[in-house]
Amino acid sequence: MDIRRKILTWARIKSPWIIHFNTGACNACDIEIIAALTPRYDLERFGVQLKGAPRHADILVCSGPVTRQIECRLERIYEQMAEPKFVIAVGTCACSGGVFNGCYNIKGGINSVIPVSAYIPGCPASPKAIIDGAVKLLASLKK
Amino acid sequence: MIKALFSILVFPGLIFVGVLSFFAEFADRKLHARLQNRIGPPWFQPFADFIKLVAKEEIIPKEANSTIFQIAPVFALASVITAFLYIPLWDTRALFSFDGDVIVVLYLLTLPTMAIFIGGWYSTSLFARIGSVRAITQLFAYEIPLFMGILSAALLADTWSLYGITVFYNNHPLFWLSNIIGFFVSLIALMGKLEKVPFDAPEAETEIVAGSFTEYSGRFLALFRLTLDIEMVAGASLLAAVFLPVGLNLPLFARFTIYLAEVLFIVGLIALLRTIFARLRIDQMIRFCWKYMVPLGFIQLLINLVLKGILSR
Ligand code: SF4
Repeated sequence: MDIRRKILTWARIKSPWIIHFNTGACNACDIEIIAALTPRYDLERFGVQLKGAPRHADILVCSGPVTRQIECRLERIYEQMAEPKFVIAVGTCACSGGVFNGCYNIKGGINSVIPVSAYIPGCPASPKAIIDGAVKLLASLKK
Repeated sequence: MIKALFSILVFPGLIFVGVLSFFAEFADRKLHARLQNRIGPPWFQPFADFIKLVAKEEIIPKEANSTIFQIAPVFALASVITAFLYIPLWDTRALFSFDGDVIVVLYLLTLPTMAIFIGGWYSTSLFARIGSVRAITQLFAYEIPLFMGILSAALLADTWSLYGITVFYNNHPLFWLSNIIGFFVSLIALMGKLEKVPFDAPEAETEIVAGSFTEYSGRFLALFRLTLDIEMVAGASLLAAVFLPVGLNLPLFARFTIYLAEVLFIVGLIALLRTIFARLRIDQMIRFCWKYMVPLGFIQLLINLVLKGILSR
C-alpha cells in the first residue's frame, strides 16, 4: 500500500502537465509563461508539457486578475479538470488583483474564485521564478 | 495453453511490447528535443506519464455515449497488440502466422484510427468531432500509399505471408535495393498513421484543443497514448520485417540486437522528419498524398512487376 502511494507520488511529481489560462492579464505574464516553455529553459526535462485540453492537464496556470466576465469561464475550466488538480497564480495580479484591485470590472485575485496552491509574485513574474514556484509546488506534494 | 498465454501476455506480447514502446516514445521525444537543441525528457518520462494518467480521475461527459466512449481505447489497444503478434520480429516466423497475414496486419493497424474516430465522435465535443473527421479523412490519403509500398514488396517475393516475405528477402539480400522507394513511401504513410507532426492535423492542439482526445482523461487517455506508442513500434517492426530483413541467420542475441537497432533507426527517422517539418493543413496533406506518394507507389509497383517479369524468364 505504502509503496503504491510512493510510486504514484513519484509519477505525479515527474509528469506535471500544465494548461495556461489568461484570466485578464495585461499579457506580460503570458509572455513570460511562454518564455519559460521555450527551448532556452526547456521545461520538458522536468516532464512538463503544455496541453491544450483541461481534461489532460494537472496544473492550471493562471495569469492576471479575474475579470467579472471571465469568472464563470474560469470556474468551468477548473471544473473540467480531472482530480488531482492544482492551480498556480502567476504574477502579482493573479495573487491579489494587483494594480487592478478595486476596478469596477475586477473580481480580485484567482483565489477569490477557485482554490490556489501556489502564488508566484512579480510584475511580470520571470520565467525563473515561475519554474521555481512550480518546483516548490511539486516538492510540497511529497509531504 | 500456458505457453501461448505467456507469449501473448508477457513475451513478446503485451508487457514486452509495452515496455519497448515506452522506450521508443522516449527515443522519439529525446531525439526531437536534441534536434531542437534542448536537453529533453529523462528516460523514465513515458512510464511516469502513464502511471500518473492511470491514477487520475476519469471524466465521462454527460452527453457522450458512455459505453462506446469507454470501449474505444480498449478496442484500439487490442487491435495493435494483435497486429504485433503477427509481425516477424527477430525471427523469420512470427508468433502466429498464416497465408495472407500481411493484409490482416495492415488492416489491424487501421483499426486504431477507426477507434479514435468512433471514440472522438461519440464524446460529442465539437473539437473532438472535427478531429475525428480529420483523422478519418487522412486515413483515405495515407492508407493507399502504405498498402502500395508494402504490397509491392510482397509482390516481388511472390507471397502474401510475412513469413514468406522475410525468408525471400533474407535469401536474396540485394532485392531490398529495389524497394527503397517503397520503404520511404511507407515510412511517410506510417507517420500519417501515427499522427506525427507534418500530418498531425487531427490533434492540432493550437487549433482544435486536442482533437479526438479532447474529452478523454485518466485511464482512457493513457490507453490511447499506449496504443499510439505500440502502433509506432508495430509499424516500425513491420517496415523492418518487410524492407530491412538482414542477418536472420545469425545467433539469437545478434538477431535481437539487429531488430532493436532497426526499430530505433525507423523511430529516429520519424523523429527527424517530424522535427524538420511543420504541420500541413488537411487539404494540403490529402493533395500531397495523392499527388506525390501514390505516383511513387505506382512507380515502385512497376519496378517490381518488371523485375519479377525478368526474374521469372
Ligand atoms: S502582474 Fe504585472 S505583468 Fe502580470 S498581468 Fe499583472 S500587471 Fe501584467
